[in-house]
Amino acid sequence: MEGILQAVNLTKRYGGLVAVNDVSFNVIEREILSVIGPNGAGKSTLFKLIASFVRPTSGKVVFQGERISGRAPHLVARIGVVRTFQEATIFKGMSVRDNVIIAHHLRSRANLFGFFLGTRTARADEADFARSADDILNFLGLSELRDEQASALPQGHLRALGIAIGLATNPKVLLLDEPFAGMNHDETMRAVEMVRGVRDRGVTVMLVEHDMPAVMRISDRIVVLNFGEKIAEGTPAEIQRDEKVIEAYLGVEDETIGV
Amino acid sequence: MTAVARAAGLLVLAIVLLAGVPAMIALTGRFDLYYTFTLISLLAIASAGVWVTFYIGRINIGQAAYALIGGYVSAILVSAYGVSFWLTVPIAGLFCAAASVLIGLPILRLRGVYFAMVTLVSTEVARLLALALPITGGAKGMVNLPLPGPVSVFGVTLIPDFTSLGNPRFAFYIVSVVLMFVVFIALYRLVHSRVGNLFLSLQQNEELASSIGINIAYLRVIAYAVSSFFGGVAGAMFAAISQSVYPSSFTVADSVNFMLNCFLGGLGYVLGPLVGTFVLRFGWDLLFEAQQYQLLIYSVVLIALMLVLPNGLLSLFGRGRRKAAR
Amino acid sequence: MEQVIVNGLYLGAQYALIALGLTLIFALMNVLNFAHGQMYVLGGFVTYTVYGQWHLPFVVALIASSVTLAVLGALIEKFLFRTVIRRSTREESTMLLAAAIAFLFDAVILLVFGEKQRGVPKILDGVLNTGSVIIPYDRILVGCLAVVFIIAFMLFMQFSRTGRAMRALAQDRVAAQLMGINVDRYSMIGFAVGALLAGLVGGLLVAITGINSGIGGPISIKAFMMVMIGGAGVVGGAIAGGFILGMLEAVGLSVLHAYGDITYLVIFASLMVFLSIRPNGLMGKPWG
Repeated sequence: MEGILQAVNLTKRYGGLVAVNDVSFNVIEREILSVIGPNGAGKSTLFKLIASFVRPTSGKVVFQGERISGRAPHLVARIGVVRTFQEATIFKGMSVRDNVIIAHHLRSRANLFGFFLGTRTARADEADFARSADDILNFLGLSELRDEQASALPQGHLRALGIAIGLATNPKVLLLDEPFAGMNHDETMRAVEMVRGVRDRGVTVMLVEHDMPAVMRISDRIVVLNFGEKIAEGTPAEIQRDEKVIEAYLGVEDETIGV
Repeated sequence: MTAVARAAGLLVLAIVLLAGVPAMIALTGRFDLYYTFTLISLLAIASAGVWVTFYIGRINIGQAAYALIGGYVSAILVSAYGVSFWLTVPIAGLFCAAASVLIGLPILRLRGVYFAMVTLVSTEVARLLALALPITGGAKGMVNLPLPGPVSVFGVTLIPDFTSLGNPRFAFYIVSVVLMFVVFIALYRLVHSRVGNLFLSLQQNEELASSIGINIAYLRVIAYAVSSFFGGVAGAMFAAISQSVYPSSFTVADSVNFMLNCFLGGLGYVLGPLVGTFVLRFGWDLLFEAQQYQLLIYSVVLIALMLVLPNGLLSLFGRGRRKAAR
Repeated sequence: MEQVIVNGLYLGAQYALIALGLTLIFALMNVLNFAHGQMYVLGGFVTYTVYGQWHLPFVVALIASSVTLAVLGALIEKFLFRTVIRRSTREESTMLLAAAIAFLFDAVILLVFGEKQRGVPKILDGVLNTGSVIIPYDRILVGCLAVVFIIAFMLFMQFSRTGRAMRALAQDRVAAQLMGINVDRYSMIGFAVGALLAGLVGGLLVAITGINSGIGGPISIKAFMMVMIGGAGVVGGAIAGGFILGMLEAVGLSVLHAYGDITYLVIFASLMVFLSIRPNGLMGKPWG
């Protein structure tokens, strides 16, 4: 079934190093798809390719029938594919609320000049953004912290803010880069609920993660990378049984792959 | 600060600068101060431009290039084409903005020291162009520029003919101060609008800004164009006041000074460039009395200030516009 | 042709030493030392005093220049830069401090040494004339010394404990701290070494071209340009940048000097274009 986004023979070479090697897969609309693999497998590079932060050496990324690879990142964001970051997910010096408000930018109808002068369209935009931001903050449990400096947030809330920023862009596909990193069990469970909530709002979610229990719990399907190549694709149950996957994680505790 | 308090503050400042200072000068007979304060106003405008580039996270040591270009554009239009001086001021600004778009597109990708160094070099390039191009009169510069003419709207003379004035210095002072007011009000509005927030996002996290759909290349160029516009305007005014412009009118030292003005005032404050320019320039002029010790005292005081207030003088008054903590 | 190459090499070696000092400071502290040219000038004046006025051996004068600048560099880092870096919210604030220090150096140098051009007696007489190349012996000596110092510096950075600590610090400040490297101490040493190199070249060149108090600024700008070309924060970049600029000047002086200012215009414009293509210079480390 043709999904909302496809990776088609994606390859990325950095000089002599092949980070991603001929990776292809399909992403179904409104599913939660996780990309996993041992360290250095090329997961982050794959995400950079999909969100067009990096040009593929060969292959392409197709979104809703249109090729998006090789286009400027902010254009790809406007088309609807938005990526949140592994580190530095937020604007440190702004308040939590401002972080989310500014992420609405690509929905603005007024132009820069309009914002400078404060035209009616600009003011309408500002009102919309504020409303939407408050709604998102509420949904992610950040309302209490609206006026806090973003840099002062503890880890769990930081990730939530990162997701909030991603949501504010009204994406069709949201790429979350290690959203559960550094969280304890309770925080992870709450984050899992958040991600499900995001999907229920109509967003297709792709995750890169190391936290295997969380991945197995939340994903509809999983893609497994090793040394830049796709070695498996399927449901969590299929992946857990897959020999190649087990072999790739050999030497790692069984519990980390959820077996 | 509430809007009313702000407006009141502005009014008070306007009265002080436009009426109070002239009164004080007339009383003390220090008419040379008109020139000093005019210069400070114009330098503050140029420094405000540099401040804007800092706001998007770039170190700009090239503003003197645009001041020079602005000065020459105005001088050429006035002397060779008889254009009214007042018209040449925005034209010079727009010309510089256009030039900065061309230059900015390739160089704004650079960051940190690399961007700074390229801008430093561009100041030299501007000077060399001024020497080499035939239209600028080469090393001789352009001299004997006429004083500004009048401006009348619907028969009402808004600005008198400067040649008819007994004391053009006073008139230049008024014009420069008014211009400075307009510039800083615009700057304040810019910073506190969505545009300012967008610039701030560039300063704090360009990659993230890009990933949420902000066209960072476009915004950077806009900021740089605004910056250069201010530089051009300041240069054009300066050419009128000194009635001349030379390749050496604005040098690398000036570029560095514009940058220092911003630092001293405080990069986190809209009024930073104004305060910094005033302190540095006025301080330097005051120290003239110290003769050969002028530079020594100046640098020692500067270092002391940096040690005590590393975030600028205005940091005494609390947090300004929120900046990224590193 | 060979003449141009020899001149270029000689100049390049001096410039490389200057650039090395600047790039070391930048690599360690992310500070662009605006006062680098002034440190060069001070080094020259110290040598002028010790060798030219007190008639002590040239070697002693060089040591004096090096030690003076090293001590000053250490003091500046410890009491000035460290304070500002610690207390400032923006990294670029150090630029104002560096500029103020440059002014201070300029002021002191002017007061102590005056503004006249100074020179010292030649350290070696005579000229080497191979037919195609004419070069005075003292230039050869100074050029060789510069190369020796460059190699010594590279060996020091590569093999000595201090050098390795500084390299670790330059690569990753946090990791270096975690490995137990005293960041403060090695920043200070690094700054001292950087200043030392500037002063050393000043001492070397005063014997050839003399010195005056006004060239501090232009030397700083040249140093910046070298670091721009070669790339900031990398030893190889500094050396490359130094030699490239040396070559460009040698070529420019002989070939293009008929065209005057156009030469520099072309050099600068090319530099801007070059940097647009290679934003970090030839091998530089990216900013931030």
